[in-house]
Amino acid sequence: MKKLLLATALVPIASLAHAECSPDFSDVTLTVSTQNGPFIASALQIAAETWSEKTCGKVELVEFPFSELYPKFLTAMSQQTGDFDVIGFIPAWVPDFAPYLSVMPEAMQSGESWDDIHPVYRERLMSWGGEVKSATMDGDMHMLNYRADLFEDEANKSAFKEKYGYDLAAPVTWDQYYDIAEFFTESDKVDYGTAEAYKRGGQQFWYFFSHAASYTNNPANPGSMFFDPETMDAQINNPGWLKALEDYMKGLQFNPPGALNNGSGDVRPLYSGGSVAMNIDWADSGVLGATEGAIAGNVRTAVLPGAKEIWNHKTESWDKFDEPVASPFLAFGGWQLAVPSDSDNQEAAWSFVEEVTSIEVSGRAIVTANTAVNPYRLSHYENLENWKEIFTEEEAASYLGAQRATLDSPNVAFDLRLPGFFSYTEVLEIELSKALAGQVEPQEALDSIAQEWNKLTDDFGRESQLAAYRASMGLPPVE
Amino acid sequence: MQRHHFRSLGLVLALVWLIFCLFPLWWVLVTAFKPPLAVSQGATYLPFIDFQPTLQAFIDAFSGIRGDFAGPILSSIAVSVVSTALSVLLGAMAAYSLVRFEFRIRLLAGLAFGVLSIGGFVVLKHVIGLGVPMALLVVMLVALPVAILLNGLDLPGPVLKNDDVTFWFVSQRMFPPVVSAFALFLLYAEMNKVGVRLLDSFPGLVAAYTAFGLPFAVWLMRDFFSNVPVEVEEAAMVDDIGRLRIFFQIVLPMSKPGLIATSMIVLAFIWNEFLFALLLTSSKWQTLPILMAGQNSSRGDEWWAISVAALISIVPMIAVAVFLGRMMRSGFLAGSIK
Amino acid sequence: MSVGARHDRIKHVFMFPAFLLVLAVTLFPLIYALVVSFQSIRIVPPLPPRFVGLDNYADILASARFWGSVQVTAVIVFISVAIQYVLGFALALTLHHNVPGASLYRVSFLLPMFLAPVSVALIARMLFHPVLGPVNEMFSLFGLENLPFLTQPAFALATLVTVEVWQWTPFVVLLMLAGLQGLPNEVFEAAQVDNISVWRRFRDITFPMLLPLSVAVIFIRLIEGFKIIDTVFVLTGGGPGTSTETLTLFAYNEGFKKFNIGMTSALSFLFLIVVIVFGTLYLAAAQRMMRRYQ
Repeated sequence: MKKLLLATALVPIASLAHAECSPDFSDVTLTVSTQNGPFIASALQIAAETWSEKTCGKVELVEFPFSELYPKFLTAMSQQTGDFDVIGFIPAWVPDFAPYLSVMPEAMQSGESWDDIHPVYRERLMSWGGEVKSATMDGDMHMLNYRADLFEDEANKSAFKEKYGYDLAAPVTWDQYYDIAEFFTESDKVDYGTAEAYKRGGQQFWYFFSHAASYTNNPANPGSMFFDPETMDAQINNPGWLKALEDYMKGLQFNPPGALNNGSGDVRPLYSGGSVAMNIDWADSGVLGATEGAIAGNVRTAVLPGAKEIWNHKTESWDKFDEPVASPFLAFGGWQLAVPSDSDNQEAAWSFVEEVTSIEVSGRAIVTANTAVNPYRLSHYENLENWKEIFTEEEAASYLGAQRATLDSPNVAFDLRLPGFFSYTEVLEIELSKALAGQVEPQEALDSIAQEWNKLTDDFGRESQLAAYRASMGLPPVE
Repeated sequence: MQRHHFRSLGLVLALVWLIFCLFPLWWVLVTAFKPPLAVSQGATYLPFIDFQPTLQAFIDAFSGIRGDFAGPILSSIAVSVVSTALSVLLGAMAAYSLVRFEFRIRLLAGLAFGVLSIGGFVVLKHVIGLGVPMALLVVMLVALPVAILLNGLDLPGPVLKNDDVTFWFVSQRMFPPVVSAFALFLLYAEMNKVGVRLLDSFPGLVAAYTAFGLPFAVWLMRDFFSNVPVEVEEAAMVDDIGRLRIFFQIVLPMSKPGLIATSMIVLAFIWNEFLFALLLTSSKWQTLPILMAGQNSSRGDEWWAISVAALISIVPMIAVAVFLGRMMRSGFLAGSIK
Repeated sequence: MSVGARHDRIKHVFMFPAFLLVLAVTLFPLIYALVVSFQSIRIVPPLPPRFVGLDNYADILASARFWGSVQVTAVIVFISVAIQYVLGFALALTLHHNVPGASLYRVSFLLPMFLAPVSVALIARMLFHPVLGPVNEMFSLFGLENLPFLTQPAFALATLVTVEVWQWTPFVVLLMLAGLQGLPNEVFEAAQVDNISVWRRFRDITFPMLLPLSVAVIFIRLIEGFKIIDTVFVLTGGGPGTSTETLTLFAYNEGFKKFNIGMTSALSFLFLIVVIVFGTLYLAAAQRMMRRYQ
């Protein structure tokens, strides 16, 4: 994985080269590491070329399998090996990595480029413990994708209306979502209704979370989705979560057979290949569908469905709403870059991060095939011009509109970010797969998860975990 | 009559196995040429008939967008060939001494070594505060001579013999790799702090992998050597030829099939090793299995890409297998002479 | 055993390079693991180490997950190694008698062993895909469609065993073939002259002579088999629940995902004990068998 990216014009006379370098990093070779390409890695590679041209520094890109990134980075940083100057990773690991990361230079935390980052990323996901230790280089969230050709077809519309009594459109509640999924599974226009990921280790639990947000992210009690933000008691076995799990399992009948083996990567081609009417995915399905799929021109994207009732853990009852409340879930939260504090080249490293995330470079990355970089800057959403290469006008409008609307949603739900992330998600995956295989009842599975979560919280220290949880949900420290 | 019976049974078995063994490889080969649709719409088997083959996956792989294959292949070949050669050589030597000589190790001396090294290390590291490399060095320099000295004394208690020594070697492979890989990483990281670069370096990897392959080499070569008739060596000894020369010029050539088989086994293990490679390498010496595992990770199973990577990782080994297979056949002839 | 005198010092020249290298590379990991196994050390989240005595061991021994993973590992290992040995030995015998196309066989038989387990697992995931995979198509011929190869415990275990057999039977073939080639031919020629039946020749000559090698081969497969992780990790992730979780996968998750180092070290020693128990039982049985043949 030695990708030595020299400046294209390696001018033989050193002094001449120096004159062109600003800032001058001509004696620096940065080791930049992330998951195996092409996704994300190729974006870093492209940025490395322009950065090298500007600063004469060299960039060596080291790639590791996604599943091994966490242990690799953590062992290297905790032992101060100085192996990496820049690491690309996911926000869920920030709590565990934070002690070993350097703080973003003050100069980068202001100005046009800084203000252009969507506040959800800038103020929430990039900050940990009051400090900015990572920079978002990719925006990400779960969205609903559907097909315009099926949803706008007159015959489908009238048949749907006749059967369900309301108009066929992008669903705004999960109940509508399952009506539509059922309708298209039975219809002969398309093979199956929808596709979601159910495979253990295939990002399964984020799908489950996306359902759960709608029933548990109560606007009256902000930050109460995963834990009670006063006591840190696990909420995952409350009736809202149970409803979500039952929904998630109900969806299996509208998925293609063998869906228990599908990870998020399998869900994508099912949609772009035209086998399903809808799917739930990160922003990648839309791009894939528009560029490589059988459904080009018909890609439509919407905010995740919501619900008309949300569990209130304080009153222990369902709060009813007249209009559906959207609680779009910021699953995963995109990729971030950080500079470990054991790096010898921190100044150059942050300069490279600045280059990757600059308005110009990132603006190109979002429309470059295979970078898998999705919008996260205000300018990304507003500059429709960029998107013309991939999308039709309608496609671009719905794709960008859904992402922007998710971020701007008043009840947007944040992903779990907590020290010991893997300990929490491991038991979740185990019990979830048991429930999906029919080995245990849903309530039983959720009770086991809650019990283990509470135990973990006690092991790690309830107070410090509570403080971390409140910070990740944007709540002030408890008095 | 009966002989034919067994023979045809064997042939049928071999044929069935050949299909069972080759089908997945065939599948990998054709999948490497499949366009995405030939995968997502059900199983397809025959290029040009079931689907239109494409070279796209190969182009992607070699253009570097799925990672640089050349670097890891070169590091993998360098590291695994050198480590295999070293561990088979050292292992064969140890195995030979286990077959031809008698070792007597008093259990008490062994225990003394264990207690001294573990206790000594804990005291030096946690009480006196020495660094890990220093503490280890001191422990080795003290405990080993003491144990050897004790072994010379007439201590009571059971005596460990050659079989136990062999077992000691093999038992090194019993410990699960998760902790030892992490601990070795810690050790290398500590060495790093005193200026000895073992992390992400050729010597560091070769040392780890040679030790990794040695247990197999010792045990397997011991069994192969035990079939070498001792008379030839005795004749040579009468001629006053040195033991080392006997070993290299007579014993080793006579055990060629065993040497080849052992080398292949050790090579296969080292070639495929993942966990140590993950922790001990970063930018310069990353090996192929790390890259292979990464083919799974770009958020989705791109079966054609996985297949191309699998093919790339297996090609050097086909060459090795053909080469060693040839030698094995000549080894077969050599075996029939004696 | 003894050519020359007992006090032949040259033996140390042969033994010490290997001995010292193994010691140097394995001594520290062992000491470290032992010390740490009596402590509570977490890197994530970073908590100060605490001496906890035997608590780690007690916790693991009391956990159903540990015993479950011992059972799963033992089932996979014993079934797959038994199949590997019988199949591998039979194939080696066949190959030894020069079947047509033997050189093709020799090369192709070896290939599975040279594929990284993680690649094998990725390939197996394609083959065993319940809808798109060829194995499903084969079973469909018998009217069994979309079997849950990877998502129901019994099927998943069978799949894992099949993959292990595919990859590691070549190991047995290779070594048994080398063993067969090392056997002195005179014995067989004599047997042929005496017109002893093929089966008796195998039972009375070939098998006993290869027994020590067989013992070694099976033992190595047992030890290595106990460390099975990649195929499980990729194919089932240990699921559903923990019904296909092996010991090493359990240890990997404790150690490399949760960085619960103290617990993982204790787990490793218990793992070592499990392997030694099974290994000793096996070696004792093998020794008895060898004595019977001598």
